[in-house]
Formats: sequence, structure tokens, C-alpha cells
Amino acid sequence: MRLPSAIAFIAFCFTTSTLQAHHSFVAEYDGSKPVKVTGVVTKVEWMNPHIWFYVDVKDEAGKVVNWGFSGGSPGILQRRGIPRSALKAGDVVVVEGFRARDGSNNASGGRVTFSDGRQVFTASSEDKTPGAK
Amino acid sequence: MKRHVFAVLVVLASAMLTANAQAPDSRSVPRTPDGKPDFSGFWEHPQRPGAAFGATTFDKAKLPPFVPGGEALFYEPRTGDPRHDEPRAFCMPSGFPSNLFGPYPVQMVQSPNWLVMVHEYDRMTRLIPLDGREHRDVEPTFYGEPVGHWEGDTLVIESRNFKRWSLDDYYYQDRTEYRMHSDALRTVERLIRVDANTVQYQITIEDPKIFTRPWSEDLVMRARPEWEKVGLFEFVCAENNRCPGGNCSETLPGR
Repeated sequence: MRLPSAIAFIAFCFTTSTLQAHHSFVAEYDGSKPVKVTGVVTKVEWMNPHIWFYVDVKDEAGKVVNWGFSGGSPGILQRRGIPRSALKAGDVVVVEGFRARDGSNNASGGRVTFSDGRQVFTASSEDKTPGAK
Repeated sequence: MKRHVFAVLVVLASAMLTANAQAPDSRSVPRTPDGKPDFSGFWEHPQRPGAAFGATTFDKAKLPPFVPGGEALFYEPRTGDPRHDEPRAFCMPSGFPSNLFGPYPVQMVQSPNWLVMVHEYDRMTRLIPLDGREHRDVEPTFYGEPVGHWEGDTLVIESRNFKRWSLDDYYYQDRTEYRMHSDALRTVERLIRVDANTVQYQITIEDPKIFTRPWSEDLVMRARPEWEKVGLFEFVCAENNRCPGGNCSETLPGR
């Protein structure tokens, strides 16, 4: 491997940004409306074009609301080393993302943190990640 | 002694210049049994050298002048209807070249008479004949009709018979500029495997209903042999397309 190729390869390995999804993040989600919830994963749809996972969240009145979060394509996630088993029903997670423009309880799921502190980045990386510049 | 050191430096410098020149290195280029450069394997999509990994779009600074009426054809006005403004969000195809420029892996399989190019996004498959045939008289399509031939070690792929469709993903960078090509689009790709790790990929865009002359982009495809192990993943867009056009509520019953 020549040096420029080696550098390009290493750079690729550390690049997590700007992978494209099939949709426009801008069209579907509002980057000015971040959302952060804590709850229990109820279902994972490991399917194209984006994975979706659902989280039961208790609101301030104690009422349980089911939130839906979208992530990257299964292929992109698996190639990045995130297997289907990374997220399961019953997992307690903190999810940070951005709300859907239609005001529903759906959002992009930019960052998932488990109760033991592990983090899984599930969004397509063209999507905005909470806290990212 | 000083002169000796100087001579060594000159040799080193010229060796480095040679290494950077991207001249085809015939010794390190894999070849098929019939002696052609072998493009088989796993590749990143065509990208600008040194660019951050992401969708490749055409450089605005390189666009030639428009023919009369060309600008109106090129910048399709957005209507506010997402089915028109972003058909891909409804699982309509990206088309060529937009699809190939998306940041998903590409697998190529080569035989003497065919190059098969598969892009993971939407499992787009280009079947490129290399047997010397001409273009057919067919109805226009989203991906056009590619026909290849060899010019020495350069694989030249000419595509035509396109349906009018989006040219690239530029509208994700600037929502006001949705670039379309016309049905007169003709593309010429020139692929040179310069070494084991790199394909030089040049694409020329000719669209006489929009532009006064053709223009080219010089891109590279980098080898990713480690992707061979897992291969490409299936990508069926309509399987679970939950928020087409930003409307999540309608499509999420019974979850």
C-alpha cells in the first residue's frame, strides 16, 4: 500500500460523518428541535432503508408515550461493526436525536446510550448528531 | 561526502515524484486471463481525491455555460410536493450518475464480455457489455444504457437513453438548487486501474439541451478488499420507508 492510500484508508476509518441516507435529514427532521428521552426499547425494526427502534417513555404526568427513532441502513451499521443484536427490546436507553417536522413522536436517533454507559451511534451519519459540531 | 548526500536526496525526491504521479503501475495491476486490467472486487464509490467521505456532487465551478433555455431545465423548480421534490424519499430510483455517487460500497465482477457493477444503495446493478455491441434503440430509463469498450488499458463506458431525472445530490447541500439532466444526457466514464488500490474514474457529462459543451470530473475509486468478507447487504427501500417526505404520522400505524 502506498503512503497516500494508507493515509486515505486510515482517514476513512476515523470518519463517521456525511454518510448519505436515502432521505433528506433536512426534509424529515428539524435540526433546531433536539430531543432527549430515557426509556425502554419496545421494538427494533432492523430493515431498509433505515432501522427504526421504539422506546416507551414516561412523561411528567406518568403517562407512557411510545417514541420512534430512525437510524442508518442495516448494511452501513453492520459494516461499521454495529450488529442487529446491539439494540434489543427491553434495553434501557437514553436516546438523543431531532424531532420529526410533522410534530409526531418520531425523531432521528443520533445517539443511544445504554445504562452501563456504552454508546451506539445509530443515525445515518448525514443526519445531525446531538452535540456534534 | 556532501555531493554523495545530495545525489541520494535527488534520487529520493525523484522516486517520490514518480510515486505521486499516479502513472499506471502495470506490475501491481491485477489482470484477467485475457490480459485486461481486472476491476473485480470491492470499491468505494467515485470520490474527489482527498474529499471527506460522502455523496459526490458535481463542482458548480466547472459547469459550462447554459444553452438558451438550459438553465430552466437544469434547475427544476421545487413545488413543495415532496413526491416531486424528493422522489427518492418515496423509494423512486436515484438514477445514474446520482446513485453511483452515493457513499455506499460498489462491487464489480468482470468477465471477458461483461462488467457487472453493483452499488449497495438500492442494489443498483449496471450490466455493461464489453463485446463490441452498439447501443440499442430502447425507451429512456433512469439508469441509462451503458456500453463499454477498451482503449488499451482504459475501460470506456458510454451511457445514453436516459429519462429526464435528478443529476446528483446537490440539493442536499442547497435546497434551492435541484439539478436535473435532460433526456439528451450522454455520459462517458473512463476507468483506469492505476495500481492495486486505486481506480482513476473520470466522467464526462454531455447534455446539449442544457449545456453548451461537455465537462468532466476526475474522481477516484479506492479498493476496500476487507469488504469482500461480508459482501454487499440487501437494500430494499420500500421495505420499511417510515417517513416519506417528512410525514411520519400517516405511515406508522400499529407499531
